[in-house]
Amino acid sequence: MDKILRIDMGAAGGPKTTTEPVGDYAGLGGRAVTSLIVAKEVHPLCHPLGAENKLVIAPGMLSGTAGAMTGRLSVGCKSPLTGGIKESNAGGQAAQVLARLGYAAVILEGKPSGNDLYKIYINKDGVKIEVDNSLKLLDNYPLIEKLRQEYGDKVAYMTIGSAGERKFLSASIACTDPQLRPTRHCGRGGVGAVMGAKGVKAIILDDAGMKHRPPKDPEKFRDANRKFVEGLRKHPVTGEALPAYGTNVLTNILNEAGGYPTYNFKQGQFSGSVKLSGEAQAELEVKRGGIATHGCHRGCVIQCSGIYNDKDGHYLTKQPEYETVWSHGGHCGIDDLDTVARLDFMDDNIGVDTIEMGVTIGIAMDAGIIPFGDREGAIRLMEEVGQGTPLGRILGCGAEITGKTYGIERVPVVKSQALPAYDPRAVQGIGVTYATTPQGADHTAGYAIATNILKCGGDVDPLKPEGQVELSRNLQIATAAIDSTGMCLFIAFAIMDQPDTFQAFLDMLNAFSGLNMTGDDVVALGKKVLSVERDFNKRAGFTAQHDRLPRFFSTETVAPHNITFKVTDEELDQVFNW
Amino acid sequence: MQLEIRLFAGLKCNNPDLPFFGKNEFILSVPEGTTIGDLRRILAIDPVIRLLVMVNHHCELEDWVLGDNDRIGIFPPIGGG
Repeated sequence: MDKILRIDMGAAGGPKTTTEPVGDYAGLGGRAVTSLIVAKEVHPLCHPLGAENKLVIAPGMLSGTAGAMTGRLSVGCKSPLTGGIKESNAGGQAAQVLARLGYAAVILEGKPSGNDLYKIYINKDGVKIEVDNSLKLLDNYPLIEKLRQEYGDKVAYMTIGSAGERKFLSASIACTDPQLRPTRHCGRGGVGAVMGAKGVKAIILDDAGMKHRPPKDPEKFRDANRKFVEGLRKHPVTGEALPAYGTNVLTNILNEAGGYPTYNFKQGQFSGSVKLSGEAQAELEVKRGGIATHGCHRGCVIQCSGIYNDKDGHYLTKQPEYETVWSHGGHCGIDDLDTVARLDFMDDNIGVDTIEMGVTIGIAMDAGIIPFGDREGAIRLMEEVGQGTPLGRILGCGAEITGKTYGIERVPVVKSQALPAYDPRAVQGIGVTYATTPQGADHTAGYAIATNILKCGGDVDPLKPEGQVELSRNLQIATAAIDSTGMCLFIAFAIMDQPDTFQAFLDMLNAFSGLNMTGDDVVALGKKVLSVERDFNKRAGFTAQHDRLPRFFSTETVAPHNITFKVTDEELDQVFNW
Repeated sequence: MQLEIRLFAGLKCNNPDLPFFGKNEFILSVPEGTTIGDLRRILAIDPVIRLLVMVNHHCELEDWVLGDNDRIGIFPPIGGG
C-alpha cells in the first residue's frame, strides 16, 4: 500500500484525481490512517456535509495479504451525527481488494456543485469517475444488481442507499460480502451522509491482475499465520460459539446478567429473550435452509455470520447480529425473529445504522407514535425512513433528534450517538467506554463486556465501579491498534486469553512489515490513535462534559440489580490519563 | 431445595439418570449445600468445558453454595460484539 488516491469531487470541470506516495502513513493502516488524516486535514469546525470534510477510506495494515482475518475496512471523517472524529469499520471484501490495488487510502474531498450522482471505478489501471443519475435513490440491493450488470461479479462494491443520498445522520456505507450482498456496513456515525454529500453513490473496486500483498518474510508470515489460525480455532469463543451461533449468542447471557436494555433502557431483562436468542436463530436458519456459519470476508476463519431465510426458504437477510436483534427486538419489546430479520434487511437496503435505527424506533415507541412491541408498526416506520417522508427524515436522523422532536427525556446517546445493546448500569465497564471513547456511544471501541460479563481476558465485577476505568482504558488502546491492522476485532477473545496467539499476531505483523514490534509498540500505536482523536474532538469543541452518560443512568435504577451507574465524573476523566 | 436451571449455547443435561436428560430448561431438586461444582457433576457436564454460571444474575464460581429457588444460567465460553 504505497500510494494514496485523492479525489476532489468539487474540482472545476468535474472530479479530479491525484495519486501521491503514502509518505508519513507508510506501514500504517485502517483507523490509524483515517484518524491521522482526518485530524491533520479536516478543519474541526467544518460542517460535516460541506466541502471541507473528507471521507477517508483505508484498508488495514495486513489487508490484502494471505493472512487470516484481515478484511476489515476503516472509513473516517468528521461525523455529521456526533460532530467529532469518526472511524466506522466494516467487513466485506472492500478492504482486501483496495489493499491489493496498492492504496493505503482513498480520500474523497470537496463537494460537487449541482445534483449529479457519481460512481467511481478503481482498478489496476487507474480511476474512472462517471455521472450516473440512473442510480438516484436506488437502495443497496437493487443498486448492486444494477451495478453488477456493468461491472460483474468479481469486484467489491461500496455503496450508499437512499439514506446516504438524503444525508440522514444514521446513513451507512455498505460493503459487499464475498457473495456480493450489501450486508457489511460502516454503520455508525453517518459516514453514508458524508459520501452522499460528496455526490458519490458507488465505489467499485476491481483487483483483477493483482496478487496478495507479499510479506517481507514469507516463510515466517506463513508460520505465524498458521499458529494464529490454530489459536483462533482452539479458543472456544472464536472456534465454537461464534461460528455456531453468531454474535446473537450474547442475547441469553446479557439477559441473565440483567444487562439487556429493554423498552428503551427501562429494565435489564426481556421476557422474550429466548425467542430472540442466537440459539433459536441458528436453529431456525438451518431448518429453513439458510446457514448459521459464514464468513463476511475471504480469509475469515471465525465465520460468525450466516444467512437467514424466510419461512418459505427464500433469502430474507444476512444473519442478524446481536446488536440488531437487540435494537429491533428487546429494546422495542419485539420478540419475533422474522420481524427483526425484515428490519435488518431494511437497514441494509436503505443503508442505515442498525443500532441507531433500532434505538430510534424505541424512542418513537416511548413517544407513543406506535406502541412498544408493535411489529408491523416498526416496519411501517422503517418504510417511512426509506421513503424519506417528513417523519422518516426525523427518524433517519437518529435517536437524539427524534427524542428532541417528540419531547422525550430518556434518550440514550453519548455525543449524540445511540447506545448499543448493553445497559451501563449492569455492565459498568462498558458505561465507561460509552462515555469516554472519542467515537460516541460505541461498544466496540473498548468492549468491556468481554471482561465484565464473559470473563475473557480477566474478570472485573460488572456491578461495581472499581477497575472499570483501567479496563476501558486498556481495551480502548488495544482496540485502536487492532482497528489499524485490518483484523476483525473478534481476534481479541483469543489473543487476550492465549499468549501464544497474541505472539502469533505480533509475528504476523513483524513478518509482513520487516519490523520488530513488541506488545509495547502495539500499545503505543493505540495510544497515538486515541490521542489524535481526542485532540481533534477538543478542537471541535468537545470538553470533559461530553464524556458523560445521560444523567438518567446515574439517577434511575434498573432491575433486576436495581443499580445506577456508579463510576464518578472524576474517574471518567482519568481514562486517558496514562 | 429447588433450582431453576437454564443451560445455553448447546449445553444440555447429560445425565441419563435424570428425567431432564437432553433438556436445557427445567426445575431440579438438589440437597442443601449443593455447590455449582456439585451441580456440574449432577448434570454430567464435560469437566473440560470452562463454564460461566449466573446465579440470580450474578456470575459465581464453582465453590458457590446454591440456595433454594435460585435461578441458574449455565454457559460455555461465548462472545460477540
